[in-house]
Amino acid sequence: MIVARGVTKVYRIGPTEIRAVDGLDLSIEAGEFLSIVGPSGSGKTTLLHLLGLLDAPTSGSVSVEGRETLGLSPRELTRLRREKIGFVFQEFNLLPVLNARENVELPLRYLKVPGPERHRRAMEALEMVGLSDRANNRPAQLSGGEQQRVAIARALVTNPTLVLADEPTGELDTQNTCRVIELMRNLNRETGQTFAIVTHDPMVAGYTRRVITLRDGKIASDSMGAEAELACDPEAPTI
Amino acid sequence: MLKYVLRNMWRRRARTLLTVFGIVVGIFALTVLGALSARLNQQVRGAETWFTSKISVVPSGSGLFGGSDRYLELSKVGEIEAVPGVKSAVAGFGLLLSDQSTGFGAPELIVGAELSKAQDLLNLIDLDRGRILREGDEGKVVLGSTLAEKFEADLGDTVELRGRDFEVVGVYAPTLSAPDGFAFVSYRDALDLFREVNPYFQVGDIAATIDVIPEEGVDAEELAARIGESVDGIKVISPAEAEKQISQFSLIFNAILLGIGFIALVVGGLSIINTMIMSVSERTREIGLKKAVGAETGSVLSEYLLESAMIGFFGGVIGVLAGLLAVYLLNNATSSSQVTVFSVTPTVAIGPVVFATFLGTAAGLFPALRAARLKPIEALRED
Repeated sequence: MIVARGVTKVYRIGPTEIRAVDGLDLSIEAGEFLSIVGPSGSGKTTLLHLLGLLDAPTSGSVSVEGRETLGLSPRELTRLRREKIGFVFQEFNLLPVLNARENVELPLRYLKVPGPERHRRAMEALEMVGLSDRANNRPAQLSGGEQQRVAIARALVTNPTLVLADEPTGELDTQNTCRVIELMRNLNRETGQTFAIVTHDPMVAGYTRRVITLRDGKIASDSMGAEAELACDPEAPTI
Repeated sequence: MLKYVLRNMWRRRARTLLTVFGIVVGIFALTVLGALSARLNQQVRGAETWFTSKISVVPSGSGLFGGSDRYLELSKVGEIEAVPGVKSAVAGFGLLLSDQSTGFGAPELIVGAELSKAQDLLNLIDLDRGRILREGDEGKVVLGSTLAEKFEADLGDTVELRGRDFEVVGVYAPTLSAPDGFAFVSYRDALDLFREVNPYFQVGDIAATIDVIPEEGVDAEELAARIGESVDGIKVISPAEAEKQISQFSLIFNAILLGIGFIALVVGGLSIINTMIMSVSERTREIGLKKAVGAETGSVLSEYLLESAMIGFFGGVIGVLAGLLAVYLLNNATSSSQVTVFSVTPTVAIGPVVFATFLGTAAGLFPALRAARLKPIEALRED
C-alpha cells in the first residue's frame, strides 16, 4: 500500500546537518495496524510526514498504492494526500471557530463535495467516533478526548486508505488513550483502513500488531507481536 | 467560506473593529469631501452650459467671474455687433442681490440683460414655468430656481429686489449651478438698481459684460479672436477659454479629493496589512492543518483575501453611511439659507465602498500570499 525506498531526510540547522531519517526502507501493507516507536529525535514524526506526503525526502522515494510520488507537483501531492491519506495530530489541530461537524467537513470541502452530502458524511463520521450529540459544539466546549475523537472523525471522513496518527494520545489520560486506541482498532477491523500510529507510549504500542522501532533515523527493529487486549473502563468518566 | 471568514474576524474583535474603524475614518472623510466635490462639480458643469454657449466680453483686466470694478462703455455693443459673424451682442449688468454674502458657491445676482436682443441668451436655460423676459418687460423678473424657492414666489407674485418691487413672470428649472441664484431683469432695471445702491458712483450707460451669440455656422473661437482684434479695451473669453477656466476649478477640488483618498489609502492599507500579518502568524498552525487535509494554495489565498476585503468592505459601508448622515445633517442645517453644500451622486455613495473593498483586497495580498505559500509541515511545527 505504501512503500518507502531508501528515504533520507536531512535538515540543516546552521552548519549542523541532521539526518532525521537515514536511508530507510519500509513497506506497509493495506489493512495493517502498526505503531512506530523510538526515543525523541529518532525520526518518527519526520518519517510519518514523509509517508503522508507532507514533506519530500532529500533522497529516496515514496510510492502510494503503487504510484511513485517523486517528481509530482505540490498540487498533485495535495490531491493525492486529500484523497488517500487522513491525519491525526497530537494537538488535535481543530479549528476553534468551527464546530465539531464543520471541522469534520473540512477535508470534504477541499474535495468539493456538495453541502448536503458533506453534512451527511460528517455526521456519519461523528457517529463512528460516538460524538454525534456534540456535533454543534466548538472545540473549546469539548474535552481533550472528545477533541481527539473529532480529529479522528475528520481523518476518516474522506474514507482514506491510510490514516497517519502522530502521538494521537500524547495529551490524553489513560482512559481516553484507551478509548481512542480502541476506536482506531475497531475502525481498522471494520473498514480495513490502514493505521500507522507514532507513539512513545509503550501501552499504545502494545495494542498494535506490528511495532517498528526507530533509532537515529534507521529501523532498529520491526516486529510482529500479539495485540494486547484492550480493557477500557466503561465506567470511567471522560475528561 | 464567508461565514468561516466572519467568525475568524470575530476572534480578535477588538483588533478587527479598530482596523475597520481606521477605514471608516478615511472613508467618512472621502465621502463627505466627495459629496462636496460632487456639488461643486455640479455647479461648475451647470455653469459650463451657461458660460460656454456664448462668447463673454468683459472689461480688459477682468475675468470670467468678474474681479474688477471696471465697466464697459455701452458703445462697445455697437462695435462688437459690427464684427462679421456676430448674431447679437447683449449688454448685461450684474449686481449682488444682497450685500450679505451667502459664503458658499456662486453669489446671488441680479442680472440685467438688454431685452431687445437677449432672447437667445435667456433661452440657454430651460424654463420651469411662465416665460422668459421679452422687450419692454421693465419691472418684471424671471427667477432662478433657488431664488424662487427662497422668495416662495410663483408667477404673478411680487418680489422685492434691492428695495424695488418686481413681478415674477417666469421661473427657470434648476441647473444646480450659478444661474439658479440669478434674478433676471431688464438691463435698464439692473442699471437703475446699481445707481440707487451706489449713489456716489455717477455712471453713464455702462455694461459689466457683453454676451455675444455667434451667427449660425460661425466658429465661436475664430469669432472670439476676431472680436478681440477689432475692438479695443475689452477682454474676450471664448467658450474654450471659459471651459478652461471652469475646469480649473474642478481640477483643484478633484485634486484635494484625490489627496484625501491617497491618505486614506496609505493609512487604511497599512493598518489592514498589519492586522492581516498578525492574523496569519497567529493562525500558522491552522493554515498548516488545512494544507495537510487537502487545502490548495488558492483556497488559503482566497480565504485570507476575502478576510481583508471584508475589513475594507465593512469599513467602507460604515464610513459611507456615516458620511451620508453627516452630509444629510449639514445640508439640513444650511437649507434655511437655500444653500446646498453637498450633493450625493451614485459615485459618492458607492465609489468609496468599492474603493475600500479594493483597498482591503490589495492590502491583504501580501499577507495572504504569505499564508498560502506556507509549507504544511513547517506551519504545523509552529507553536
